[in-house]
Amino acid sequence: MELFELINFYLVPGIVLGSIYALGAVGITLIFAILRYAHLAHGDLATLGAFIALAAVTSLGVSPLAALPVAILATAAIAVGIDKVFYNHLRERPKIVTVMASLGIALMIRAVVQVVWGVDTQTYSRGIVRPEDYFGIRIRDREIYTILAMLVLVGALQMFLTQSKWGKAMRAMSDNPNLALLSGIDNKKVVMLTWIIAGGLCAASGFFLGYNTELKSMMGWHMLLPMFAAAILGGVGRVEGAVLGGLIVGIAEELSVLVIPSEYKAAMAFAILLFMLLVRPTGLLKGKVL
Amino acid sequence: MSALLSMEHLTGGYGEADILQDVSMHVDQDEIVVIVGPNGAGKSTAMKSVFGLLTIRGGKMLFDGDDITGWVPNRIVQRGICYVPQVDNIFREMSIHENLEMGGFLKKGDLSAAYDRVYTLFPDLKERRKTMAGSLSGGQRQMVAMGRALMLDPKLLLLDEPTAGLSPKYMEQIFQICRDVRDTGVAILLVEQHAKQALAFADRGYVLAAGKNRHEGTGGELLADREVAEMFLGG
Repeated sequence: MELFELINFYLVPGIVLGSIYALGAVGITLIFAILRYAHLAHGDLATLGAFIALAAVTSLGVSPLAALPVAILATAAIAVGIDKVFYNHLRERPKIVTVMASLGIALMIRAVVQVVWGVDTQTYSRGIVRPEDYFGIRIRDREIYTILAMLVLVGALQMFLTQSKWGKAMRAMSDNPNLALLSGIDNKKVVMLTWIIAGGLCAASGFFLGYNTELKSMMGWHMLLPMFAAAILGGVGRVEGAVLGGLIVGIAEELSVLVIPSEYKAAMAFAILLFMLLVRPTGLLKGKVL
Repeated sequence: MSALLSMEHLTGGYGEADILQDVSMHVDQDEIVVIVGPNGAGKSTAMKSVFGLLTIRGGKMLFDGDDITGWVPNRIVQRGICYVPQVDNIFREMSIHENLEMGGFLKKGDLSAAYDRVYTLFPDLKERRKTMAGSLSGGQRQMVAMGRALMLDPKLLLLDEPTAGLSPKYMEQIFQICRDVRDTGVAILLVEQHAKQALAFADRGYVLAAGKNRHEGTGGELLADREVAEMFLGG
């Protein structure tokens, strides 16, 4: 097989898919680091974000990319609302209660999506887009936008976490919650910020999956396992780890069709997850112990 | 002059059990006061009671003219009492400088005067300000923890066994820093396992046993007391 064939048919789609996973995995890792539970509604929240963007495209007649900010803001607000109405009441209970509750939220969000938008496959724009050729590397504009958007959003998040007062407060809460409280850091605000960021990134993840493929009510649910695999692979609590993990899982899924039937592509994430939990549960970049 | 902090006939504990029974103590301005006593005597509990971390069922706590009994920790921090826990008292994955920044989280406006004050007390920290706090040695971690607590310019600093697990060299250094802190006008109340050394360095001390006041006096008086020596200091 030629090198360019490998790049064009496996590596580029892998990086695009990996970028989509990374956007979701960053949110999962933040929620795990600060709130300390696995958020199982993350995939369906991404679906909701994707369909909110679709609503903006069809009702306002804007381009898909212009609908992205709308979807990010709306999903962030919904995530904060879900936390206030549901998860917040369970904060003092064992974390597994919230994990189970989030599974219920996942089903609720999916039901809402199916009632409002139906169960049929939809797209942001019709027609086939042919990839451009850059010195032999064939890549579509929307694939470039996906990778760039991931890098910009995660870069902005990293700047926020390392440079701003509230970003540092989020890291402090993740690092040592008791000491953060003793220092007078308002944990309600930190929790709200976490949901704004995780919800927004989640919408971006769902949007780009829909933008590169199509929109389905189950699209996010199917991303849940790869997103968790990415977060654990990178090291829970590590933003840069979630990006690295996302890219590895995405590329591994696309490359896997070279050796196993493509129907089993989704099993790659599961295999990576199991392997990491067995060999190095703290992830590639040493994260929190689960 | 009335005391900066006075604990009057305090009874309380975690949940149902009363660990402290009718404990009274006070801390004056510019004073280092140490609480010593055998394991399980309620030393740390007495200190945590100041910081609103336990249920108080009797007595009251006065600080600088206010009755702070039953206040939440957040409000107590703002009122001018900072607390350094015995363990997990730093943000490991943040730099020394960021640890201090988090200590000054509640402070509005410019923190540079607070950084200067802390770095003057701990020149070692200034050199290594970008270093991750988790990679420091035990003694340096304790300095970061104290520095973090001093960022809000407290009137009273509570230290829970600051020398636990430290070498004698570091213990002496921490005690010296306590004196320097006191000389900047911050009163200190600390709990110590190393009773002899702590009584020798503190201005005053309390001996607690089984959740009750047993003895109080200046460090020298307590060290000279035969009963104290036999009971708690190993003769």
